[in-house]
Amino acid sequence: MGKFVLKRLLALIPTILIIVFVVYFILDLTPSSPGQLILGQMATEEAVEAKNIELGYDKPFLVRYVKYIIQLFQGDLGTSWVTGKGVLESVFARFPVTVTLSAGATVLGIVIGVLLGILAAVKQYSIFDAAGTTLAMILASFPAFWIGMMLVILFAQELGWLPSYGTGSIAHYILPWFTTACAFIASQLRMTRTSLLESIRMDYVRTARAKGQKESVVIYRHALRNALMPVVTMAGMNFGTLLGGTVTVETVFTLNGVGTLILTSIRSKDVPVVVGAIVILAICYTLVMLVVDILYGFIDPQVKARYIKN
Amino acid sequence: MEEKKTLLEIKDLEVIYQTDEATVHAVNGINFSLNEKETIGLVGETGAGKTTTALTILRLLPERTGRIKGGQVLFRGENLLDKSVPEMRRVRGAEISIIFQDPMTALNPALTVGDQVLESLEIHNTAGKSKQELNARVDELFNLVGIPAERKAEYPHQFSGGMKQRIVIAIALACAPQLLIADEPTTALDVTIQAQVLKLMENLKEELGTSMIIITHDLGVVAETCDKVAIMYAGEIVEAGTVEDIFNGKEHHPYTVGLFNAIPNLDEKEERLRPIDGLMPDPANLPQGCKFGPRCPHFTEACKAQTPYIYEEKEHRIMCNLFKKEAADE
Repeated sequence: MGKFVLKRLLALIPTILIIVFVVYFILDLTPSSPGQLILGQMATEEAVEAKNIELGYDKPFLVRYVKYIIQLFQGDLGTSWVTGKGVLESVFARFPVTVTLSAGATVLGIVIGVLLGILAAVKQYSIFDAAGTTLAMILASFPAFWIGMMLVILFAQELGWLPSYGTGSIAHYILPWFTTACAFIASQLRMTRTSLLESIRMDYVRTARAKGQKESVVIYRHALRNALMPVVTMAGMNFGTLLGGTVTVETVFTLNGVGTLILTSIRSKDVPVVVGAIVILAICYTLVMLVVDILYGFIDPQVKARYIKN
Repeated sequence: MEEKKTLLEIKDLEVIYQTDEATVHAVNGINFSLNEKETIGLVGETGAGKTTTALTILRLLPERTGRIKGGQVLFRGENLLDKSVPEMRRVRGAEISIIFQDPMTALNPALTVGDQVLESLEIHNTAGKSKQELNARVDELFNLVGIPAERKAEYPHQFSGGMKQRIVIAIALACAPQLLIADEPTTALDVTIQAQVLKLMENLKEELGTSMIIITHDLGVVAETCDKVAIMYAGEIVEAGTVEDIFNGKEHHPYTVGLFNAIPNLDEKEERLRPIDGLMPDPANLPQGCKFGPRCPHFTEACKAQTPYIYEEKEHRIMCNLFKKEAADE
């Protein structure tokens, strides 16, 4: 198992090299002058030029790329061209908000989505099934920002129960959590339903029933456990995606998360922040997927056996 | 000789599968009975309604489509079809167990085999035995079916097909049921393993005094293990009797004759096998009168008109008009 984890962590290195290359390359396609950004519009042309040379911006793309990679592996993500603060510092300042938002939404999505999915599968073709699948379709079709605004109008403006912006307390997170979780609930519900319907038809479920086992235990112990693989995969992927992809929700609720940071940095061509933030997110995503893979081992003894063998 | 007690009696059982497209008549009014410590073989082609009969006895038919249209399943005098769901759960696994056809998929891949045997014991642990006692019983069962008890902590994927079938048998026998239904227990296994598993089941039957229903399409299995035989065709029992009646009796249903002709005979020089021509009728659209009629070499207009004559001699029953004529001739 330890060997397996180590292997996966080593696989992070080529992943990072590729990600940095792609991001760096794309940002390089649009003309930019870091000297101008740092010194401001009022700086003289000579000063800007000198700054660009100091930053190594007169060098070709590949040279800059290699230099950045070397710095990166020394743990130096550079400083922001706009604010002058360390990239690591600015990303981590935003990180708690994003993680709270993503983790809360993931938990909500798993709990609600899986429960409704189980209900829909166990009572296939019943009203619960129809209601569940319809709900999933509705949740998946409405864009998050629209759902967010509707929730704000209802719960913040009309009823006045919850705050509509900021990050002061748990109450501040309730609306963003639900808004983010919507699409997630939908996918989780559908995945659980499909996967469980498949495993309910397996022979071993019939074996369990033939033992005289209670239906609830048959579903939980025999059917659900074997249906969890795709559900866990999807939950992990969703969580990973949320870490960097909650920009719309962050905007609606004026939360200062990593998503917003990346977006503003792209607009202002603050290359070190963009690349740094994306690298950090990529590492987080890989770690989440690693956790998912380890969870597989707990769900399926066959996978675990394979991990140990490798 | 002591009077044999009837354990299971099936009367006029009729089962259909109702789907949006069609009504499939899977079992059409079958009757048979089984005494204590007896083994009956249900023989027939795929789709003859053998498995449906087995699932009906345990009330494990698919909930949405399977419907029991009529008849009775009397187990020790009580009609299982009248029992409530919780009552039925106490019968399943404890008094009547089933071994399903494919051992490869019959075990839960996520649980250790020991836990799966233990589960059966835990469900029916009415005596309130301790966990230790139950675990000791699991070891005992593993030894009984010939698997080292140390392997109980392993998962199904670590066992071969024959070993898995042994575990399935251990699960079925865990609570010492009075009736064991074996649904094609050896079909999915290769020949050498088949013999082992049959031998094992035969030994267990003798040791434990369990009655058995063996579902198979293999007449060899029947000859080796059964006391009684019921030949099923298109949801009906076309011929039933003791093993002696079926294998050595004079009179036979044309379908039974066909089945025997389809077995290669080593003593006679035969160019090729003689299979029964045609296919089993679509159970959603059964022919009128005798269901075997369209494939029968002795088919007459009379067979089409009404349900066939039932010939009876002691326990031997044949559902065929051939014997009506003979009765009239005499």
